[in-house]
Amino acid sequence: MKDILKGQWVKLAATDPEEASKSFVRWQSDSEFKRLLDSGAVGLNSTKAIKEFIEKESDQAGTNLFWFVIRSLEDDRLLGDVLLDVGRWNMREGFVGIGLGDRDFWGKGYGTEAMQLILQFAFTEVNLRRVSLNVFEYNPRAIRSYEKVGFQHEGRLRGALLREGRRWDMLFMGILREEWTARYLTTSI
Amino acid sequence: MKDIYRGKLVRLAVEAPEVMTKAHARWERDTEFHRLADGDPAQLWSEKKIREWIEKEMEDDPLRALRFSIRTLNDDKLIGFVGLRPDWIHADAWIGIGIGEREYWGKGYGTDAMRLIVQYAFLEANLRRVTLGLHSYNARALKSYEKVGFKLEGVLRSDTLREGRRTDGIYMGLLREEWQALQGVAA
Repeated sequence: MKDILKGQWVKLAATDPEEASKSFVRWQSDSEFKRLLDSGAVGLNSTKAIKEFIEKESDQAGTNLFWFVIRSLEDDRLLGDVLLDVGRWNMREGFVGIGLGDRDFWGKGYGTEAMQLILQFAFTEVNLRRVSLNVFEYNPRAIRSYEKVGFQHEGRLRGALLREGRRWDMLFMGILREEWTARYLTTSI
Repeated sequence: MKDIYRGKLVRLAVEAPEVMTKAHARWERDTEFHRLADGDPAQLWSEKKIREWIEKEMEDDPLRALRFSIRTLNDDKLIGFVGLRPDWIHADAWIGIGIGEREYWGKGYGTDAMRLIVQYAFLEANLRRVTLGLHSYNARALKSYEKVGFKLEGVLRSDTLREGRRTDGIYMGLLREEWQALQGVAA
C-alpha cells in the first residue's frame, strides 16, 4: 500500500501548534488570503490566541475533524492547511476546507493536489460517501481548482456575501464517492 | 405600526425553560418529527439534558441567535419553535423552524410562523437575505417555504441516507427585494 498522504508536489502532515501558529500569524496579515478563506470580517489575532485555537482544534482530531498542514515535497516548506470535518457520521458526509497561506504557491497546482490528497483520505481511509465544500464567487482560482478535482456545482446562495460594497454568491460544491471512484480508481471500492 | 409578533394563526412567543423543556421532550419522542427537522440520528434525551441545552440557548447573545416559540392565536397552544441565526457582516441569516405538534401539520401554522420570522428578519433585524435548508423528503416544508417566497438555490446531491435511501439536501433563499415585492412594500 502506498502513502496516501503524499502526492507529487505536496504531502499532508501533522500540525505542530508552535510552527503553525507562526505561519498562521504571517498569513492572516494578508487580508486577501483571509477574505478568500472565510466570510468573517478580516481581523488580526495574537500569536497566543492562534496557538490556543490550534491546540484546541488539534484536541478534537481524529473524531470529527481531520486536520493537516500542507508541505511542499521539494523543500518541506509549510504552505497551508486542509481539513476534513465529518459533521454527521450517520450520513457519512464530510466538509473540506483548504487554505494556501503562502502566495508564492498560488495558482501552481499545489492546492489542487492537496485537495486530491484529502479526498483520497476521505474516501479510502475515512470511507465517506460524499464530500462537500463552499467557495465564494470572488474566488475563481479556487472554483477552477475544485472543478478540476471533480467537484460538481450544487448550488449558489444568491448574494449571500457583501464584500467591497457589492453582493457575491456563495457556491456549494460536492463530490460523491462513486464519482471520485470513477475518476481516480481503476478498481472499484 | 402593527405588532410584528402576531400573524393570522400564530404568534411568536417566549417560554419559561421548564415549559419549553417539557414540549421538546414530547416532540423529540416523535421520530418522524425529528427526521424531518434534523439529520442527526434520532435519540432520546433526558429532560435534564434538554433543560440544560435550552437554558444555555437562552443565555446566548441575542445578536448571535434570535429564538421564539410558536403559539396558536385561537387557543394559545405551544406548537413549535422558530429561530434566526444572523451573520451580521453579510446581513444574511439562517432560519430554523419546527412544528412539534402533529395536529398542526399541513394547516398553515408553520407557514404563518415562517412569514413572521421572515418579516422580523427584514423589518426588525434589517437583513438583506435569509437562508434555510431542508431534506428533499420533506415535501410539506418545501411547499410551505415556496409559498412564503423562498427560491430553490441549491441541491446537495444525496447528502442524506434515510431508511436505506439516499436523498438530497436542499438550500433555499429569499432576498429582501423579492420579499418586498411580494408584500407590495416600497423598498
